[in-house]
Amino acid sequence: GTQVKDVVIKSDAPSALLLDKHADYIAAYGSKKDDYEYTLSEYLRMSGIYWGLTVMDLMGQLTRMNQQEISDFIKSCQHDCGGISASIGHDPHVLYTLSAVQILSLYDNVNVLDVDKMVEYVRGLQQEDGSFAGDKWGEIDTRFSFCAVATLALLGRLDAINMDKAVEFVLSCMNFDGGFGCRPGSESHAGQIYCCTGFLSIAGQLHQVNADLLGWWLCERQLPSGGLNGRPEKLPDVCYSWWVLASLKIIGRIHWIDKSKLRSFILACQDEETGGFADRPGDMVDPFHTLFGVAGLSLLGEGQIKDVNPVLCMPEDVLERLGLHPDLLS
Amino acid sequence: QHGRVKLKSTAQQEEEKRKEREKKLKIYVAGRDAIFTKRLEGVLDDEALQLTQQLLSSNPDFATLWNYRREILLHLETKMYEAELLFLESCLKVNPKSYGSWHHRGWVSARLPRPDWARELGLCDRCLSLDDRNFHCWDYRRMVVKMSGVPVDQELQFTDRLIGSNFSNYSSWHYRSTLLPLLHPESPDPPSPCHQHSHSSPPPSPQTHSHRVCEEQLLKEYELVQNAFFTDPNDQSAWFYYRWLLGRAEREEMISCVFVSREEERVAVAFSRPVNASSSGLMLVLDGQPQRVEWRSVHPHFRHSPVWPHLIVLPPSFTGRSESWCRDSATDQELFRSELSVEKTSVLQSELQSCNQLLELEPQNKWCLLTIVLLMRALDPLGYERETLSHFQTLKEVDSMRSAYYGDLCSKFMIENTILKMEYAEVRVFSLSDKNLTMLCHLDQLLLVTHINLSCNQLLRLPPQFAMLQCLEVLEADDNAIENLDGLYYLPKLQEVSLKNNQISKLSDLQLLTSCPKLTCLDLRGNPVTQIANIQSELTELLPSVTDLLI
Repeated sequence: GTQVKDVVIKSDAPSALLLDKHADYIAAYGSKKDDYEYTLSEYLRMSGIYWGLTVMDLMGQLTRMNQQEISDFIKSCQHDCGGISASIGHDPHVLYTLSAVQILSLYDNVNVLDVDKMVEYVRGLQQEDGSFAGDKWGEIDTRFSFCAVATLALLGRLDAINMDKAVEFVLSCMNFDGGFGCRPGSESHAGQIYCCTGFLSIAGQLHQVNADLLGWWLCERQLPSGGLNGRPEKLPDVCYSWWVLASLKIIGRIHWIDKSKLRSFILACQDEETGGFADRPGDMVDPFHTLFGVAGLSLLGEGQIKDVNPVLCMPEDVLERLGLHPDLLS
Repeated sequence: QHGRVKLKSTAQQEEEKRKEREKKLKIYVAGRDAIFTKRLEGVLDDEALQLTQQLLSSNPDFATLWNYRREILLHLETKMYEAELLFLESCLKVNPKSYGSWHHRGWVSARLPRPDWARELGLCDRCLSLDDRNFHCWDYRRMVVKMSGVPVDQELQFTDRLIGSNFSNYSSWHYRSTLLPLLHPESPDPPSPCHQHSHSSPPPSPQTHSHRVCEEQLLKEYELVQNAFFTDPNDQSAWFYYRWLLGRAEREEMISCVFVSREEERVAVAFSRPVNASSSGLMLVLDGQPQRVEWRSVHPHFRHSPVWPHLIVLPPSFTGRSESWCRDSATDQELFRSELSVEKTSVLQSELQSCNQLLELEPQNKWCLLTIVLLMRALDPLGYERETLSHFQTLKEVDSMRSAYYGDLCSKFMIENTILKMEYAEVRVFSLSDKNLTMLCHLDQLLLVTHINLSCNQLLRLPPQFAMLQCLEVLEADDNAIENLDGLYYLPKLQEVSLKNNQISKLSDLQLLTSCPKLTCLDLRGNPVTQIANIQSELTELLPSVTDLLI
């Protein structure tokens, strides 16, 4: 029969939380401007900054980052159409529009941007069937539905779109297993499920989710190593500690996974030498997996980390300040 | 970045690597800067195509470059697009999982005056033969099928081939779940031949309910899945698909219970599904007179709820019983499971037999155990209660990571059984004591209950949904682990509450009890909160109308 795809955690894998090392890793990351990988990832720089800042804030270390430099950078990424690009010279996209708003929300400084134009940009991305394109070139994906409503929720402007149609489209992406995919007919995937449950939370429509069925599919992501995969027969990855765990939290079923085994897996993904988290034990670290490892630990109740909001992946205290309390199922 | 192994190397190797990367970086940056300069100047030429091609070959996620190429292509004749398709093919060979590459290919293909969809389908076939879980490719395939009108049964046969030859099949089973309702829709009339849907009609959204497939095909599907999991009992995808086949129709939205209390001047309405009564236009008509109503939810947490109470003013001439109700039968087959035809019952019974045989060969197979439970629930939930409990015990042992899931699922089934049995006994007294319950559900079915016993279970809280028990007078919930009483919110008739031996630890945990106007008896013995200094006087102050307080 088929072997279960999984990793084996070595006995000498890290088992203590090395928060200081992670803070040092992130603080130094931005200065590596002549690094090959760093340059190649310029196309997602805005999201990269969001990952770095958010994890620093969760660790109480946000002040180590350069707010002025980042604010200026974001301002220079807003285009005439109102949308925000990942970096200077790149084209605007809803993914980076959300990341920019998330960053500026951490700093309580959204008004450095032209908010009205940004809202118009997002509104203009909604299609007749309720779906959202990522940009003017028309790629449709439920990720973009999430980005759109999350952006507008942070700006207090959810009235700008046709919410009923938007909900109708997302629900049309619900599958036989209770999960969600990119577009109608697409296979369920933990990342898309996070986006869709997050969307439905913001839209106040979580009762449309089959929480018992989806919760089962999600808790079956946990492998013998304790780690979580993104869909059946795939390897575990620390970023799924976020996508899967946050989804479970949103639908009120987080207790269906084995928390202590997951915690051990996440800790094993740390790099004791360099700081940061990798996708699985022994691999190369990056800010993306560092955020989701730390955020996952926060959802598991790690005392040393601030509470993270499962819908927006931002510190709860930031959302408290904004008066944002997206629904969660109990 | 995923799957990049960290390798240790010597200082010399490190230095060589560093020099190499520095060189690569220089080339890359030069290319990028040249591209950006050209773009700023509005240049749309062949050199731009060359430069972007170089960068995209190694970095197809650099979305802006695809955008630039599209701007250039828009200025060229579409006969130039063939080169683009060739370039894209090489990109996809290197990185078959780049959103940008697949989207661009779709854009190019759609703009051709005569797109070669057969070629595109061939590309998908090849790509899926290398990795039949590549969702980018599956999504592209679905687009090609839609655009070119590939018949649904041809695609169904495609899934047959994949499923027959390979174990990593989740994507194929998923695709089947979307194709079946198209090809074999459930017809509203009794036996009519299942016919092929015209592919030109818009496909219905993917269904979460297998009842949308006509029964004849559904029963064939059971056979197909059974072959799969008998060949490989650890192939998860077949078991997930099977659970879908065993699923039931979503209940129609309708009123399941109406309760009227003349004494309390109250009406409560329960629906089969959560609704938003304030926006749904629910009308209350009393003796032929429509009433002005502002429905309120049972708990501020819910904008959508199955139960909606409301205060009414009854005309003084109203005589009759002090309270009255109208309710659907609890043993109505459709409450928790679908009605089974003779044929389907027979198939499910033989399925159950087969699974039991498999279980003898693989006693630790959790998929098999869970499926047997689901089959038993579909066939005879009350008759198989004992076996169900035994299987859940085994499940918690062989799949301990998910024991909380099994605990909750078993609780749900035990609550369902108790509700089913309710028909034969009193409908107003409900006992769930000593049933290993880890959670509460179906509380919308308990609108009429006056006495409820939840003692000797493993409950951690009374959830907000508990507020649906609008007629509740007596609550016994001793010997649990309750620390949260969120659900004891505005229960208008609640008089006695016993919470002995729980985990209520703070005075604030009891705050909500002040919303229950008729509460007179409260037993909190054996809770940590009773150890707080001055607790007697604190509670008397908080709940002055509770004359019978036991701590």
